[in-house]
Amino acid sequence: MRIEHKHVLIAEDDKFLAGVVGKFLSAQGLQVTIAHDGREAVEIMEKTLPHLLLLDILLPVLDGHGVLKILQGKKIDCPVIVMSNLSDKLVQKKCKDMQVKAYFVKSDLDEATLLPAIKKFLR
Amino acid sequence: MAKKTEDVRRKLAITAKKLRIKAAELAVTAREKENVRRKLVVTAAKLHRKAKELAVTAREKENVRRKLVVTAAKLHRKAKELAVTAREKEDVRRKLVVTAKKLKVSRETLEKKILERTKDLDQSRVKCEAILASIGDGIVVADKEGKITYVNKTFEDMVGWKTKNVLGKYMVEVVPREDEKGEVVLLKERILSQVLSGERVIADVTQPFYYIRKNKSRFPASSIVTPILLSGEIIGIVETFRDITKEKNIDKAKTEFVSLASHQLRTPLTSIRWALASLKRDRLPDEQNYVVSGAHEAAAQMAATINKMLMISRIEMGGIDQKRTHVSLQTVIGKVVRLFDGDRERHALELAVECPRQLRARVDEQLLIEILSNLLNNAYNYTPKGGKVTIRAAQEDEMIRIDVTDTGYGIPQAEQGRIAEKFFRASNVASREEAGTGIGLYMVYNIARLIGGTISFVSEENKGTTFTLLFPS
Repeated sequence: MRIEHKHVLIAEDDKFLAGVVGKFLSAQGLQVTIAHDGREAVEIMEKTLPHLLLLDILLPVLDGHGVLKILQGKKIDCPVIVMSNLSDKLVQKKCKDMQVKAYFVKSDLDEATLLPAIKKFLR
Repeated sequence: MAKKTEDVRRKLAITAKKLRIKAAELAVTAREKENVRRKLVVTAAKLHRKAKELAVTAREKENVRRKLVVTAAKLHRKAKELAVTAREKEDVRRKLVVTAKKLKVSRETLEKKILERTKDLDQSRVKCEAILASIGDGIVVADKEGKITYVNKTFEDMVGWKTKNVLGKYMVEVVPREDEKGEVVLLKERILSQVLSGERVIADVTQPFYYIRKNKSRFPASSIVTPILLSGEIIGIVETFRDITKEKNIDKAKTEFVSLASHQLRTPLTSIRWALASLKRDRLPDEQNYVVSGAHEAAAQMAATINKMLMISRIEMGGIDQKRTHVSLQTVIGKVVRLFDGDRERHALELAVECPRQLRARVDEQLLIEILSNLLNNAYNYTPKGGKVTIRAAQEDEMIRIDVTDTGYGIPQAEQGRIAEKFFRASNVASREEAGTGIGLYMVYNIARLIGGTISFVSEENKGTTFTLLFPS
């Protein structure tokens, strides 16, 4: 699939990390928007539906679970990949139950794993 | 002459007269004598008769006498015998008297002793009961049918049931077991039969369950159920159990701490990894690229270490839920091999995999991958350049056997017993540049146990090592 100009929203409160990941994805030709908390992510999604959401779980204002719940409630249909440093199996299961396509532990994740996953699940 | 004649005649006459008197006297005497004689004859006849009678009587008497003699003899013998018997009896009596005296003494001693012992026993029984009652763990004793025969005070306090309400009832009726989700554990019967067959069944913090009190509230418990042996025969079971609310809370706190700590460690690490990866992409000059690559690799290793520590923490707390599926061994080995292809190339090692295509097992794939990853990673890290690593998988009866063989540094003979210890690193590799934490094999041994398998190895220094995983297919 061609990924140029596809829109990816990164919901990540670590501005430095969000920037580094955003820079990498931009370099691959993707259009990247960054939200620094859950509420902001939902607002952006309501305005312009991205082709994919890269979602952290521990976010200020509204956490990742909350974001997923609102998206489900508002029937906003967007593929979600979770990138979190929580490796707890229960958290992972909770996300998978909320239609999350893939769950990655951030510190174990590298570009070579993330990019194919994004390509695979882009709307 | 005449005169003379006359004298003679007179004399004669006198004489004749005298004679006549004499004759008359004689006649009288004769008559008297005749009378006497007759009387004598009569008397004689009488006497004769009498004699005859006496003779008869005498004979009879003689007979009687003889009989009496015989009887007397008999009686004499009898008397003698009786005398003997009497003597014997007397002996016996005397002995009996002595014995009786002795018995009396011993009886008194015995009574005294029994009294003392009873007192002792009473005391020790009271003591035992006091000890049982005071034990901080709940105790419940059941007979072979599983019916309760004794509960202690702690049991009463913990579950709220009084002794009189539970005796003769089944433990499972009185205090049901349920799991985390509140589902009743129906294993109780199985535990009973297991224990009655001589086993000891332990449910501790790693297999938590809950006991339900009389008031329907519940508490997490750990228990040990043991058979009661009397002269080698199992007569029932005894269960001791504890309220492990505190331990559970500590466990929960530990889990929370570990997951928080690992999250806090991961967050900066993620930034470091991604930043270094971004630098690597920028086609830096060789020297800088070498430094950045090294740092990037170290960051990846640190991430792996955090994962291992989390895994160990979960294993030690019994928090691993296994997901058993049918997996192809060839596929699993392929995945593991690909994970470390970079390392293999960097170490210039040759790899051979021998695995039948149809070989399958029902096992938690992630746990199997974890074991094999560690074994393969070790083989790569501890084999000098140009060496060879072989992975061999095969079915052995009901088991799957996987050998990971290298031609590496080996494990010194003297240290082979310590290989499964946490944080242990063999002296011949600890100083080498290969980074190692000493938790990999500790984890491997523990995960192998989790999947019902075993780890063994043979190793010779500077020749190589073969680690063998054996687990049920």
